[in-house]
Amino acid sequence: MDESEDVPKDFIKLKSERLSVDEVSELVVSPCCGAVSLFIGTTRNNFEGKNVIHLEYEAYTSMAESEIQKICRDIRQKWPSVRHIAVHHRLGVVPVTEASIIIAVSSPHRAESLEAVTYCINTLKASVPIWKKEFYEDEYSWKENKECFWANSEK
Amino acid sequence: QVSVLYFARSAELAGLRCESLRVPRQLTALQLWEEIVRVHPRLADIRDQVVFAVRQEYVLLEDQLLVLQPGDEIAIIPPVSGG
Repeated sequence: MDESEDVPKDFIKLKSERLSVDEVSELVVSPCCGAVSLFIGTTRNNFEGKNVIHLEYEAYTSMAESEIQKICRDIRQKWPSVRHIAVHHRLGVVPVTEASIIIAVSSPHRAESLEAVTYCINTLKASVPIWKKEFYEDEYSWKENKECFWANSEK
Repeated sequence: QVSVLYFARSAELAGLRCESLRVPRQLTALQLWEEIVRVHPRLADIRDQVVFAVRQEYVLLEDQLLVLQPGDEIAIIPPVSGG
């Protein structure tokens, strides 16, 4: 088997078009891997009793990509058997039920990719410079992830 | 001369997303914040909730000494909400 074509890769993309689960999972599929684990983050229609109409995302794009790259590096240190990692995040308007983020990780056996996906989304929420504005019927609100250490939880 | 980038709530308060600012070559993060608030006083509202990114590394608004080069990119980073 020619291994040189299957060097572990990170696929990181921030884009305003609709995300595709098929596209992201196909990026990480590999002949040596028996597992592909996925996380899809979708827009929820409610927050604290208010109707959410849509979300809008913005990013410090160059730094977001480099922070996600750091997360991929951490993943490979913690779970060396992980093969490919793909993180696609949508920017701009994301309507309710559509995906704002898709993470896919492949590994020979399932434990590592499942754990790596969890680590990836949790760490991304703490440290990647992307912001979400939640639009309700008559107002909007900049959200703050509780994982983010410089957010005030009490105001 | 450094580039200052504003995001999310900080862009709304400052009224812009990007500008050039003339600052001392060496100053603490706190002093840099004071310089920026001088230009955009409304930013004082979020002082307790932001950090900087200097050359794309996070820096807290504290006494850390920054050594800046012309053209360096500084960003105001409100609490993130990706994912």
